[in-house]
Amino acid sequence: MTILIQLVTAFAGSLGFALLFNIRRDRLFPAAMGGLLAWGVYLLIGPLVAWDVPRFFIASLALTLYAEIMARMKKSPATVFLVSASIPLIPGGSLYTTMQYAVSAQWEAFTTQGMNTLLLAGAIAGGMLCMMAILHVCHRLYLLVRQA
Amino acid sequence: MCPHPDRQSVDYANEYLSNALSIGEQMLRSGAEVSRVEDSIRRICTAYGAERVDVFTITSSIVVTISGKTFGTVTQTRRISGLQFDLRRLERLNELSRLIAQHLPPMEKVEEALERIRTTPGHSFPAQLGIWALISASFTLFFGGSWLDAVASALIGVLLKYADRGLKWLELNGFLAALLCSGFGGLLSFLAVQWGFGDSVEKINIGNIMLLIPGIMLTNSLRDLFNGDTISGLLRFLEAVLLSMTIAAGFVAASVIGG
Repeated sequence: MTILIQLVTAFAGSLGFALLFNIRRDRLFPAAMGGLLAWGVYLLIGPLVAWDVPRFFIASLALTLYAEIMARMKKSPATVFLVSASIPLIPGGSLYTTMQYAVSAQWEAFTTQGMNTLLLAGAIAGGMLCMMAILHVCHRLYLLVRQA
Repeated sequence: MCPHPDRQSVDYANEYLSNALSIGEQMLRSGAEVSRVEDSIRRICTAYGAERVDVFTITSSIVVTISGKTFGTVTQTRRISGLQFDLRRLERLNELSRLIAQHLPPMEKVEEALERIRTTPGHSFPAQLGIWALISASFTLFFGGSWLDAVASALIGVLLKYADRGLKWLELNGFLAALLCSGFGGLLSFLAVQWGFGDSVEKINIGNIMLLIPGIMLTNSLRDLFNGDTISGLLRFLEAVLLSMTIAAGFVAASVIGG
């Protein structure tokens, strides 16, 4: 039940951001599906990987691949899909807990939790950058093959 | 044959450069990455006949120098201020710049199209209220809040939109505005739970935080960094991180001071 609620709300939240950023109507559904997909991947690999950081990394890889494919198919900038789909991964909960420790002056807990938040954000970034690099290389190779 | 007898003149170069800069400016403000802006400007100027185009863009400024045998060298700069993310506008600008590079329409046509894109209104205010409520409620549930929490979060989201509009009108510094807005949100969720309208201050707050966090800025800054636009990437990244911390701190502070 929790899983279902999370998937539905990941979709709804991404849809909200797609609307907020005024994405074209025919792109709304794929953009929101990206959010669902990102969280779906995160949940799927749960039994294999326990630690959140690599899970975020893999989810981010998947959503970037999805965003780039959709961008090619719909002929629009990848930003359109990337931005709304990555929203459910943003570590808002962890950030909130971090600031709670800061305000109540629990500095040790603050450092640990803050590190966790940074690592999660870094994992999302790393996933995006890796997938972009992979796609870039694939594109270059494709051009090379077509030329030959 | 040639509709523009003065196509070789400096005036003509200045005119298309100015249009290219306007397109670049609007793109950057709507949420484009630096490399996309630079590519578009380069493509447009080359199409109109510039032999060499040097573009340098950071988050707050665009500088372009074009040169050609017939008109010599022309430079223009544009100061960019005020982000207003709008991905539909970005797509339309993208299409316009492609169209220009392919068909070289007359200047008046380009200016008309730009003006039309610039003045197309976004969502109406009531629609925006609905969107803010949807996002807040979704993420409150997403992070494990109860249904009552979600309703409280949605209502607070609506009030935050009003607060946001008020703060925009006051033209406060961005960080101060974010702090005030999130402090107000934190106070509301604290009061809501005190009065029994909601179960967890924390879950309600997290939903509202997700709403205010500058997600688009964060993803774009990473893409800029990856593309080698380090200055822009770092500037935006730092701004996004500081803003996120300010927002989270605002929400936490209100509930800590309250109890």
